Amino acid sequence: MGFLEIKQLCKSFDTTPVINDFSIEIVELTLCCLVGPNGAGKTTTMDLITGRQKPTSGQILFCEDDITGLDEHVIARRGIGRKFQVPAVFRDLTVRQNLEVAYSRSTNPLKNIFRFSDPGFVQKLEQVVAQAGLSERLNVEAGILSHGETQWLEIGMVLMQDPRLLLLDEPVAGMTEAEIEKTVAIFKELKKTNTLVVVEHDMAFVREIADVVTVMHMGSLLAQGPISEIEANARVREVYLGEAEA
Amino acid sequence: MNIYHNATAQWLAYGVFFVLLAVVPMFVDDSFLLNQFATYGVFGLLALSISLCWGFGGILNLGQGIPFGLGAYGMAMTMQMQSQDASNPIPPFMLNNSLDHLPWFWEPFRHTALGIILALVVPTLFCAIFGGLMFRARVSGPFFAIMTLAMLSAWYTLILDVQPYTNGANGITPPGALKFGDYAIDPYSPVAYWSVLALLAVATVGGRLMTRSRFGLVVQAVRGDAERVRFLGYNVAGYETTIYTIAGFIAAVAGCCWVALTQYVSPAQLDTTFSLSMVIWAGIGGRLSLIGAIIGAFLIQGAQSYLGDTFLNTWLLVLGGFFILVVRFLPKGLAGLLETILGRFPLPQRGNSNGNSAQRLYPQPGE
Repeated sequence: MGFLEIKQLCKSFDTTPVINDFSIEIVELTLCCLVGPNGAGKTTTMDLITGRQKPTSGQILFCEDDITGLDEHVIARRGIGRKFQVPAVFRDLTVRQNLEVAYSRSTNPLKNIFRFSDPGFVQKLEQVVAQAGLSERLNVEAGILSHGETQWLEIGMVLMQDPRLLLLDEPVAGMTEAEIEKTVAIFKELKKTNTLVVVEHDMAFVREIADVVTVMHMGSLLAQGPISEIEANARVREVYLGEAEA
Repeated sequence: MNIYHNATAQWLAYGVFFVLLAVVPMFVDDSFLLNQFATYGVFGLLALSISLCWGFGGILNLGQGIPFGLGAYGMAMTMQMQSQDASNPIPPFMLNNSLDHLPWFWEPFRHTALGIILALVVPTLFCAIFGGLMFRARVSGPFFAIMTLAMLSAWYTLILDVQPYTNGANGITPPGALKFGDYAIDPYSPVAYWSVLALLAVATVGGRLMTRSRFGLVVQAVRGDAERVRFLGYNVAGYETTIYTIAGFIAAVAGCCWVALTQYVSPAQLDTTFSLSMVIWAGIGGRLSLIGAIIGAFLIQGAQSYLGDTFLNTWLLVLGGFFILVVRFLPKGLAGLLETILGRFPLPQRGNSNGNSAQRLYPQPGE
């Protein structure tokens, strides 16, 4: 049994199919990169896993529990954390406050009115801040962070949740070479203890970090395997790597 | 470091503010003036509730007159029944509207304690149900504001229409002051003033603690990006409903105080203009600052009392013009202006928990 299993997933917007009979299995403690040309359905797949959209048909199993169609916050509480394609942080809160919100051990609004600090928060904060390299920016408003720092902050927020599965949508988009290098180091550290699914277009980055690469095309699975196999696959080269990577 | 953001300085400002307000009765002999100041306390409560809901929660609420009006009607019914007795069991206006018995929903208001509890619980429950329905369906932003406005008009029309039960446009004017047992609270006495002020102080301190709690933090995160908060495991609708309901409860308290002070309630309390002016108070004073919103209410209502007579019908135009200026040039209101001014005189940065001098290189919010 897999850690995350997607079975015959379908999603149509009106009559346009976006995800078409898509099935994969994610093994625990691996880093799987989800690649594919624009419109292949990568982000939609993430939306379907995290409950942002409900599938038309099909099933999503997480740790052998059916999570298909549950509400976003319920799925998040089960242990699936998500980083968005466009970095989504709370711009008018400080970096520290952002991470504090993300440390969502207590979620009941009425109980939280009387809660001013969380046990274990400071410890977790120190660990995540060290991992994401944000220690010098803790008291700065998130809105004035650079693009790379915003990406790291959002990765840090996902880590604060202590998720069993991390879904990261384009974590290095818009980063400089140096920033990408730092992110690679963060991810290599992360995959020792976490299961990750990363959507990314940057093939150099994928080559660095991926255990398994899953290629999507037109909402279906095109190929899956180690990067060397994928890059040798004729059909993949045809639809995706094409001119850019050949 | 801007002293405006210093928590100790903020608490100190709150303390000074309420002490100054508390000594007002020592210097005001005119009991009518004192009563008027006490009603400003009611406006302060309303502005505070808007600041919590709109400023911190990001939920623009144009229908705060609903819990205010319902609370006011509940209190007016309680006080009206206090002056009815065995020989005269029905309020006079009902007789004039040819009712020969007390309607069932007036019955509980024979008991003062039960009546006041209902005056607070009914509006709060209404907010919880209405808010819950709206927020669960993810109605937010301008759409929610329009829904509150529509709901406000519905209540206004309803109360106006059922004249035999509410005395329609004339409203309810309880003949006597609010009595607890044998003790009557004279609305023109310092006791009434201090009671309202005490409620305002408790609500302000409670509100401030709430905004600093984990709840307050999540609510501010929801204001920034509700969608993101969901993926962190929070039930956003629950948070929105809670902050909206708490604001509604404070408005209901304000409604009760209003009637205790003025011995009068009419559909005018549910008028859209009044609910809109609450938003204007908070906007001008500074919706992100509880105390700023309260001061905004004092300033605008004070100006209306004293300048309103001079400008007569053009007062609303003056107010509207002022509001436009504030929205355009001071989006954080007068409190934001103070923040900017204080930011020009930064405090020396003390060693903080991170012991990190590198922080000085980066602009702090408000600097």
